[in-house]
Amino acid sequence: MSKAVEVYEPFRAGLPPLGRYWRSLWARRSFINEYARSELHASHYDSVFGQLWLVLNPLLLSAIYFVMIRIISGSGDSTRYAHLTASLFLFYLISNAMNSGTRSITSSENLILNTAFPRIALPLSTTVVALFKFLPTIPVFLIIKFALGLDFGINMLWGSVIVVIALVFGLGIAILIATANVYIRDISNFLPYLNRVLLYLSPVLFEASSVDDSLSFLKFVNPFFPILNSWSRAMVHNEALNWSEVGFAALWAFGIFLIGTYLFLSREREFAVRV
Amino acid sequence: MSDYHNSGELAVSVKNLGLVYKTTIDKKLSLTNRIRSLGRGTKQTRIVNALDGVNLDIDYGSVLGVVGANGAGKSTMMRVISGILPPTTGRVEVYGKVSTLLALGVGFNKQLTGRQNVILGGLASGLSRDEIEAHFEEIADFAELGEAIDAPMRTYSSGMYARLGFSVAVTVKPDILIVDEALSTGDARFKEKSLAKLKELRGDNRALILVSHALGTIREVCNDVAWLHKGKLIQRGKPDDVVDAYQDFLAVGKSAVVNEDV
Repeated sequence: MSKAVEVYEPFRAGLPPLGRYWRSLWARRSFINEYARSELHASHYDSVFGQLWLVLNPLLLSAIYFVMIRIISGSGDSTRYAHLTASLFLFYLISNAMNSGTRSITSSENLILNTAFPRIALPLSTTVVALFKFLPTIPVFLIIKFALGLDFGINMLWGSVIVVIALVFGLGIAILIATANVYIRDISNFLPYLNRVLLYLSPVLFEASSVDDSLSFLKFVNPFFPILNSWSRAMVHNEALNWSEVGFAALWAFGIFLIGTYLFLSREREFAVRV
Repeated sequence: MSDYHNSGELAVSVKNLGLVYKTTIDKKLSLTNRIRSLGRGTKQTRIVNALDGVNLDIDYGSVLGVVGANGAGKSTMMRVISGILPPTTGRVEVYGKVSTLLALGVGFNKQLTGRQNVILGGLASGLSRDEIEAHFEEIADFAELGEAIDAPMRTYSSGMYARLGFSVAVTVKPDILIVDEALSTGDARFKEKSLAKLKELRGDNRALILVSHALGTIREVCNDVAWLHKGKLIQRGKPDDVVDAYQDFLAVGKSAVVNEDV
């Protein structure tokens, strides 16, 4: 503990001193970790049935969607099922980060009103929760892929790059919507709709290759598109990544992250009077 | 844990502090409400002058009592000193490490246990895990919660809340300790115990700020009292003088009721 003299002066819009902010956040890393663990514990995700449910939920969903696809298009093979499962798992990582991040600030009123700490620690820990929920689905996917008799290959390792991009994107969107939610509380009502639209407009129920030219703009306006397509390419098809697509995904992810972080950091000193 | 401070050295300097904030009239800040008020051309917000030109120096070695009616800005001022709320005007300088109102932060998540709340609150305020663990037994003992420390805080009674909050506030010892009305609940025995604890803390070379409606406690523990009213500093001085003036103002007299912790 240094004998630092703290000076508090009127709030100005704009970024706080970043070096200091980062040090103060880094000092809270065990808070982020502990908070994520407690959240998981409180929602029973550290129990056997909690874990099971985490995996079962997307599995059941993928089974239902698979039946739906078969009915609508009349076809569907094992690759299609693997694609559906893998894509849903990653989609849930991002959407979990987004959904829990949205309320991360407004639901921590008591902590924000009574403790001085870098507020960004809150959406960070909800994103860590989303990651913890995602991790057990990876071995489940591998087992499914094995059971379906699909090939494993070295290109699947590229999936890790995509997970990192998905995490940055999920965190960015969590921070962005968490900030907006402080000022406009009913944004959380809009989320289920947003989730559904993003799910149907992303290559989850369909494969990117089956999108015809008239709809190809989706690849550019929906940030989930390049992320999920690259993911399926690596994890399901064992193909090398298309680097321009990955670059585009990364551009979206870091863009959203930077915009969200800028807005968050420049407004966060005002959160205490707003929550 | 902290550097040694000499008695009489400046701990906190509050200069011309003002804090204005807007509150919403409609409880919810929703998009629909915003659009509706745009259509009507009415303002949804009300300006509140929570603090207005407050000047206050607090030295090490002093025990400052802060009194005032509800809504006087006492808690708001404590939040500015802890760096939680940014001031609108003026300047606050803090020479040392401030407790960040841990007492009130405890219980921020009612689904979590008392233990988790204490640990998380401590980590959030910047303490290290080791520091919290070193103090944890002491906190749990002082709060006398027994096994309830590992029960979710939604099962706690308000007395248990207050006891845990007070224990956290007084056990983790910063240079500048703020205790905000944490004495107000809890049974007579715990009150006695917390009063003794406050007196004990007074001996150390730190600045203690006690915000309370318990005027008897203020008279007994503090050596300096500030009286806030509607965001303005009305009077500052010896406990008996200021508390007398405050009681005259409240026109409640020195009945037993106000001297006790209610």
